[in-house]
Amino acid sequence: MASSHISKAESSYIQAGLTSKDPQRLDGRNLGDYRAVALETGVAPLANGSAKLNIGRNPHNGSGGTEVVAATKLEVETLEEGAVDKGRVVCTVTCSPAAYPHLSPNAVEDLQYDLTTVINQTLAHPSLHPGNLRIIPGRKSWLLNVDLVVLADAGNIYDALFMAARAALWDTKVPRTRFVQFKARKGGVDNVGKGGDGMDVHQDVTSGFDTRGAHSAADFELPDYWDEGEVLDGRDRWPICITLNLVPPNHFLDATTSEESAVPLKLLLVFSFASIEVPTIQAMRFIGTGETSSPELRQLIKEGQRYAADTFKALQSKLKAEDVRRNQKTRELFASR
Amino acid sequence: MAQIGFDRRRINGPEESFAVIFEDNEEDPSKWKAGMARVGRLPLAIRPIFLQPGLIEQANGSAFIETGKTKIAVAIYGPRQSKNIAFHDKGRLNVEVKFAPFSCQKRRAPIRDAEDRSIAMAIHQAILPSVRLETMPKSVVDIFVTILEADGIEGCVAVGSVAASAALVDAGIEVYGLVASTSAAVNGDELWLDPSNEEAAQSKGTLVLSSMPALNKITSVWQNGEMLPDQVLAAVDICEKQCVEIHTVVAEKLRETHSL
Repeated sequence: MASSHISKAESSYIQAGLTSKDPQRLDGRNLGDYRAVALETGVAPLANGSAKLNIGRNPHNGSGGTEVVAATKLEVETLEEGAVDKGRVVCTVTCSPAAYPHLSPNAVEDLQYDLTTVINQTLAHPSLHPGNLRIIPGRKSWLLNVDLVVLADAGNIYDALFMAARAALWDTKVPRTRFVQFKARKGGVDNVGKGGDGMDVHQDVTSGFDTRGAHSAADFELPDYWDEGEVLDGRDRWPICITLNLVPPNHFLDATTSEESAVPLKLLLVFSFASIEVPTIQAMRFIGTGETSSPELRQLIKEGQRYAADTFKALQSKLKAEDVRRNQKTRELFASR
Repeated sequence: MAQIGFDRRRINGPEESFAVIFEDNEEDPSKWKAGMARVGRLPLAIRPIFLQPGLIEQANGSAFIETGKTKIAVAIYGPRQSKNIAFHDKGRLNVEVKFAPFSCQKRRAPIRDAEDRSIAMAIHQAILPSVRLETMPKSVVDIFVTILEADGIEGCVAVGSVAASAALVDAGIEVYGLVASTSAAVNGDELWLDPSNEEAAQSKGTLVLSSMPALNKITSVWQNGEMLPDQVLAAVDICEKQCVEIHTVVAEKLRETHSL
């Protein structure tokens, strides 16, 4: 378990507050309230897309909260025989030891392994695959690395990771590529055949072993463009996560570290809003020792969908505002030259 | 001699070589197209389960399970003293999953990889709520899951959870109830239970439900891929019904084994 250990008394104090008729939380929030979320895109100039996200920063001194930096990096990959030529998406989560001072190095490693598994299984699923990661069909494609770094954990890490990943992927630009083709001159092949070996080579007959003709494009180049390329295909689909912390009969959102360790069961619901009316569930996980029943689950999914829609709308408007802000900045910079 | 430095005494094969592709003599899943009915099984039919508890002598409890091409052996050691871990008033459940090198189409190098841990996580979550860990403070229960033959991750998680729960009972560890688990995949508009590797790969989304049918409780839902909320709920209901049947089979087998 990621959370720090709290005493039995503290745990039962938190639980009693949450399960009472008039639910109380330590910081005075309602059960469905989020802490303030701060988001900025384009924080890593060397990445193809990046974002920095903070949940629950202290407004007075600007410290604290869960802090995650996400960055995407595209790499050219030469395809092996028989590999899927659509490109790949690989997600990795790294936890700074400073974020988990109470855990041993081994435990931090296990934790980042577990976080990576959930993120990678969800975001690298074929149903979310962007369509423009192909460079040369059958030869070369982009490998999209999504790296997430946890700088501080003050609870609700899954929601933060998915939100940061979505922001970074939204911000990602795929460089434009252009095919380059090498063609042997017709009849100019005699300088190849004449190796002085006196072999009779029939140039007109195509050999069955010659597979070079299979793909016309041999290589690619990057044309110079004023922007860094086109956005990832299907970027509206990248999902967001809602963690429902279950304290029967109640559930609440955005748990702090101490609340997390007092909660017996967490339900992760990952929603994708390709269209806002018909969201799809992209992943679902239970974490913890508690259990639930199917009528409860039905209710939770319904509620979760509502929370996710609200979060999605807020995040979407923020991402659009970030796009405007950065384009404005670039234009002003350009004009002042 | 075309090249200089050509030595005909050496093997002059090509620099690269590729694995031979064998023609699959079982039913060809590539013939299946979206919207077609399931080949060889009804949509809601699962593969028959063979379960044998207590095959591994030196372990406190064990189970071997086989369903279709999935074969998994589970051994349980403990509850035993937890070393180099600070005092804890509850016991700890430790699940380790290992793929045999020969368990998949491609050889699996005998090192720990990401998939081992993700399956271990899923099995851990499926059985964790059923175990009475508060009865064994300061102890640890080690569960070793060896996958001898794999046919899809979803199948491994589901079948592994059933076997692990049966092995816990075989070891005499107190549990609230037996855990039964089923996987499902959405193919086209249909829901297919207990998908094989190919079926899961062709599906849009998959789901593994683990429950304690005796208590009517769900311990875990492990879902991946694109599914509508209604599809998830429908899948949960169907899987829950199937789990009741699996539970009967497992309970019957355990009773049979332990009454001898």
